[in-house]
Amino acid sequence: MARNLRFFLTLSAALVLLWAFSGERIVDWAFELPLPDALMDPLLDAVFWGKDLKAAMGLPDLFGALRDTLHRLAGL
Amino acid sequence: MVFPTLDFVLFFTAVLGLNLALFAWNGWRKGMLLAASYWFYAAWDLRFLALMTGVILLAWLGGLPGRRKATALRTLCIAGLLGCLAFFKYFNFFLLSFSNLLGDAGLSRDFSWAQVVLPVGISFYVFQGISYIVDCARGDCAERRNPFDVALYVSFFPQLVAGPIVRAADFLPQLDRPERPDAAMRGMAVALILAGMVKKLVIANYIAVLLVDPVYTDPASQAAPQALAAMLGYAVQIYCDFSGYSDIAIGVALLLGYRFNANFNQPYRAASFREFWQRWHISLSTWIRDYLYIPLGGNKGGKGRQAVTLLVVMGLAGLWHGAAWTFVLWGLAHGALVAVERLTGQHRATGARALRIVVVFALVTLLWLPFRAHDLDQVGQMLAALTRPASDYAVPLHGFALMLITAGLALNALPLSWFTRSGQALARVAPEVQALALAAGLIFCFAMAQEGVAPFIYFQF
Repeated sequence: MARNLRFFLTLSAALVLLWAFSGERIVDWAFELPLPDALMDPLLDAVFWGKDLKAAMGLPDLFGALRDTLHRLAGL
Repeated sequence: MVFPTLDFVLFFTAVLGLNLALFAWNGWRKGMLLAASYWFYAAWDLRFLALMTGVILLAWLGGLPGRRKATALRTLCIAGLLGCLAFFKYFNFFLLSFSNLLGDAGLSRDFSWAQVVLPVGISFYVFQGISYIVDCARGDCAERRNPFDVALYVSFFPQLVAGPIVRAADFLPQLDRPERPDAAMRGMAVALILAGMVKKLVIANYIAVLLVDPVYTDPASQAAPQALAAMLGYAVQIYCDFSGYSDIAIGVALLLGYRFNANFNQPYRAASFREFWQRWHISLSTWIRDYLYIPLGGNKGGKGRQAVTLLVVMGLAGLWHGAAWTFVLWGLAHGALVAVERLTGQHRATGARALRIVVVFALVTLLWLPFRAHDLDQVGQMLAALTRPASDYAVPLHGFALMLITAGLALNALPLSWFTRSGQALARVAPEVQALALAAGLIFCFAMAQEGVAPFIYFQF
């Protein structure tokens, strides 16, 4: 059980890191969620709070840079 | 919601956490997985939930008689399930045919208002419902008084929309005795999910966008190199698309503690058509064998009778993919080739295996042509393009697409032991490393992927 918990916690932490270093992508994604307004409103509030937090911390869009590099290497 | 998206990754991470938290309470855990599966399906279209629930209830009712001799209830439920499938999959086809007939007679009418939306995954979950009823009747699995167990079996989200078609006898006992994922299961799951993501997001999607779709959009303007590359490309695309989905489904289920059987086994290494069907979409081939081919007579009777049974079964298998003559043609052609092999004894041949693999692969690739084409006219245009040495309007061949075709064929050719060893290597590392490997692989695939979501080919079936 402990090992499964460690797996889950590490995966969750990695997703938080992905969010932190992925620019505006999570904001775009949140708008596409099939949620009723009652759930969507607080979720969007949280997403925008996170977006402001990222902006305040000045985190770079590393995901976007990786994406550009990979696409350039593949000639896309 | 489809597997290779951030939506699904977040959804699945939440389910994984809840599955872990509820592990000691199996009833609650099953309830959570059922709710998650309904949520997953509702993300496609809320209206489909009622249909899926109806299918589940029919399957549950049909299983209640258990091993008792033929009962009207069982027959009615199977007929109801087949009726559902027939209505949703084939109604539009008959409507169009009827509309064309009226048009030919000068009585044109607009029937677009009567068209039926095809619920995603219906072919898969109806087959699972039938499998449950028949397995109960044969005594292969015990009938369930609790409809929620049948509901979870039919709707379990990893296999809900495009298989693998899981057998009740394999899955239901796992609901009673949940398995806690160990290092080996996690290692294999990570390897499978990453292999599936690369196959789908990198190989299948780019071959489709850079090569196959442009060529099939305007086949009349293409020349032989483009037509050949697109046919070869589609063989790789459909393999990577569908086996990629199956890999992810099996990996996701493993992380939750459930085991599914393999759905692909290097299909393009088959040296006969019989062997191809033992390696391609294994869960459908074995379903058709056990619930259709054998009840229709199977290998009993003379060779002629067997050949006719094969043709009927493979024609129906083609029709299962969709209501179009192109699918029927594809199924019948495969049936004819399997029948010819059996009549001539070629399926038992052992010599010149490499040559036979090349011949089978070439014919399978040729037969994907009607499978991919919208109609028989498009098939004719692609065949005509094969005879055209050059064309000013042909699609340029993108080097990356050709490289991906090579990579896809190499993936198919790699020995299974190589892949198993990757899973075993991941089983030996700490759970943190397993999770980081999964996250890093996912980030690579998402970064490499195109913008937007390309649905899996088999979702339309």
